[in-house]
Amino acid sequence: MSNSDLIVGLEIGTSKICVVVGETRPDGTLRILGVGQAPSRGVRKGEIVDFETAMKCVHEAVVDAEQKSDVMIRSVYVAVAGGHIQSFNNRGCVILPEERDEIDDQDVEDVKINAREVSIPAQNAFLHSIIQHYHVDLQDGVLNPVGMLGGKLEADFHIIHGVRTRIQNTIRCVKELPLEVEDVVFSALASAQVVLTQHQKNLGALVVDIGGGTTDYILYVDGAVKQSGALAIGGDHMTNDISMGLRIPMARAEKLKTEEGSCVLGNCLPGETILLKDDSGFAGKEIERETLNTIIHLRLRETFELLKRTVEEEPFINYVGAGIFITGGCSLVNGIDHLAGEIFEMPAHVTHAQTLSGLTSAVENPQFSTAIGLLRYAQAVQVDRPRRGITRIFGRFFSGMR
Amino acid sequence: MIQLSKNYSLPERQEEPIPIKVVGVGSAGSNALDRVLLDGMDKADLIAINTDVQSLASSVAARKVQLGRSSTHGLGTGGDPELGYQAAIESADEIRQAIAGARMIFICAGLGGGTGSGAAPIVAQLAREAGSLVIAFATLPFSFEGKRRAAQAQDALSRLNEIANAVICFENDRMGDMVAPKAGIHQAFGIADMTISQSVRSIVNLIQRPGLIRIGFDDLFAALRSQNGRCLFGFGESDTDNRAHDALTQALKNPLMDKGRMLSEAAHVLVQVAGGPGMTLSEVEILMRELGRHVRDHTQIVFGTAVDGKMGNRLSVTIISSLASEDSIAAQDTSPPPEPFLAPPPAILEQVEEPPPAPPTIDIVPETESAASLEPAPDDWIAVEPPVAAEAPPPPVPAPSIKKPAPRLIPPKKKPVVEKEAKPPKEKSVQAKQEVLQFEPVTRGRFEKSEPTIVEGQDLDIPTFLRKNIRVK
Repeated sequence: MSNSDLIVGLEIGTSKICVVVGETRPDGTLRILGVGQAPSRGVRKGEIVDFETAMKCVHEAVVDAEQKSDVMIRSVYVAVAGGHIQSFNNRGCVILPEERDEIDDQDVEDVKINAREVSIPAQNAFLHSIIQHYHVDLQDGVLNPVGMLGGKLEADFHIIHGVRTRIQNTIRCVKELPLEVEDVVFSALASAQVVLTQHQKNLGALVVDIGGGTTDYILYVDGAVKQSGALAIGGDHMTNDISMGLRIPMARAEKLKTEEGSCVLGNCLPGETILLKDDSGFAGKEIERETLNTIIHLRLRETFELLKRTVEEEPFINYVGAGIFITGGCSLVNGIDHLAGEIFEMPAHVTHAQTLSGLTSAVENPQFSTAIGLLRYAQAVQVDRPRRGITRIFGRFFSGMR
Repeated sequence: MIQLSKNYSLPERQEEPIPIKVVGVGSAGSNALDRVLLDGMDKADLIAINTDVQSLASSVAARKVQLGRSSTHGLGTGGDPELGYQAAIESADEIRQAIAGARMIFICAGLGGGTGSGAAPIVAQLAREAGSLVIAFATLPFSFEGKRRAAQAQDALSRLNEIANAVICFENDRMGDMVAPKAGIHQAFGIADMTISQSVRSIVNLIQRPGLIRIGFDDLFAALRSQNGRCLFGFGESDTDNRAHDALTQALKNPLMDKGRMLSEAAHVLVQVAGGPGMTLSEVEILMRELGRHVRDHTQIVFGTAVDGKMGNRLSVTIISSLASEDSIAAQDTSPPPEPFLAPPPAILEQVEEPPPAPPTIDIVPETESAASLEPAPDDWIAVEPPVAAEAPPPPVPAPSIKKPAPRLIPPKKKPVVEKEAKPPKEKSVQAKQEVLQFEPVTRGRFEKSEPTIVEGQDLDIPTFLRKNIRVK
């Protein structure tokens, strides 16, 4: 197993840190070798607030992954999230010189740079610019313009950007360990890589990744990313609501949410209670199930309604044919797909990473969608720039020879 | 409770159902009537009243009355309310015969056309004179049917509001929202019929069904009291596993309910839950608790429940309430100026100003009569009217008052009533708005020290239920 085939995805989440180790096989499939995780501290709403603590937790998770997969981890792909991440669509344009009418790679690079020449807030940095479609001399929907004849090349890009320092914090946290950061990827983009099939991307789909601290979304239409973003609301808020509404400690609220929580209203008998077992030997507290569900329901409903309003600012949601795909830890809440379906008025599904081999038990949990998605993303990027690691080694080797 | 037993411990109560008649006036009315009949109605007599013989012949109602044998010769009125009115006057005796002996009369009419607009108020008036309680179900035309029709409909509606004890008004435009845009036009009209039929049937059932907690006339009128206001009505029925929830959701979906939002402004809400013998207390409890979220704390909920073997596995919810609409208040505020122009001058102005002859308001006759003849009848609705009488001391009533159309006289009479009714709810709605504001500091719990997530002016870190003021315990 050569090290260059090894890909590691790292997600620093609000509730847990998750490291997935995988290898790409010659036939192009991904195999998961191991999953390491550690509870996360020092992270709020997807962003690091306590550097030292967060670093320790990342270290724990990486060590765990190394032990489980029996490899040395040197470099990782890191997912970033947080309410500061924003996106927009922009069109770049390049006019070919008079004497040439065949579009080449350089023109495609130029148009990408051109599309990025827009003003984003000074403190922000570009995360991704994702190609949607090219237009050659007003001919729409060109997928690959290299080699085509034309005078004017235009390209629609979806550009995702976020606050530079916050992204750098995440990178620094990993680099201090020390690990190399191959790339930073917006978490919803990563999740979408494994949650959706190409067919679903073509039909149009909205991926909603509800994690501990943030709710990230990405919208595909015609196989291209049209809209993406993040809301700083997540499972933590639900836990906090429960803790305050029922007057119980956070840890207990968290447990209650994961074990008993549901967002379906009117489904339990009046007076039906849950007995909270107290491990310290005190008498347990009785909690009305409907109360618990109401708190969760209200929070989730609000989150979805807010998300709907955000997404509806642009018309793309009307072209979504495949429906909504909910993933992330919070998608495990009972009945969440019905609620989302009711609010968005389209089919909603709870999904997890698809089409992978290896540790399927790990794969089949929506909590790991993002980390596994990172692998798929990395794989796709590496196909574009074949064997980046090897080229570099060879490059060094050759330069050493000279 | 005490009132109920006083009112209904009459000997006929147990065995004999209260005589109820449902009258369809005009083509739209008889369509609605047919619908009521087809949906199954054995607790009331149905009577179709129309000028158009053809339409009348096709009606399935058991009893039919043709209006204006000599004035319209069996044809329709061609959309002229005056003609409809004449025809009804001509056939007043027949109408009287047909509706005789009913304690309660439902009048279904589509306003805007000739017969519905012209004859329905007369039928209502005759019914009141005969000592019946009158509830009118009126549909207003689609706005695309033209302003003229809309004006005729409004005119007829305000007259009905005068005469009937309660008017439940369905706006066709609103019904249109319920129908898929692709559906045929007959379906759009059908929805209106269906909604009327549902309302009629559920109110009849409400009153006829032997109730565990019974709802009577008085409760019904308390809920419908605000005259000229907007009537809220919802009916839902379900036989699924989660039938309590489903039935309520369906009831709130009714176009007159505006998804339950309107309920929050109502002062009285009448709810009846009916089901087969299998209905459990917990179902009722769930349902009422869920409904409780839609109304304010000080709203009076009149609750009734009934067990009916015929319901089988189904559970039905009927919600009735009313609001004095702000529209009507506004309309009243603006009405005084045009009044002089509208009034066919001298005679009427005189009548308004000088006490003795007083407004020859048609329903003062039935009022006194009905008060006498209908002893068990609720005091509630009668109580509403005295201010009118006070303002215009009871006149030496012109007995065959029908001959006087008196549509122009409505403003002077209506005004005091509406103002009296309308004001309190308005104040309340202002209060309700204030409740939304939160002045106490709210804790943010776990997110105390993190950067707040503020979207659309709300701090989303504060629990949703606190921000929305929903009590969870």
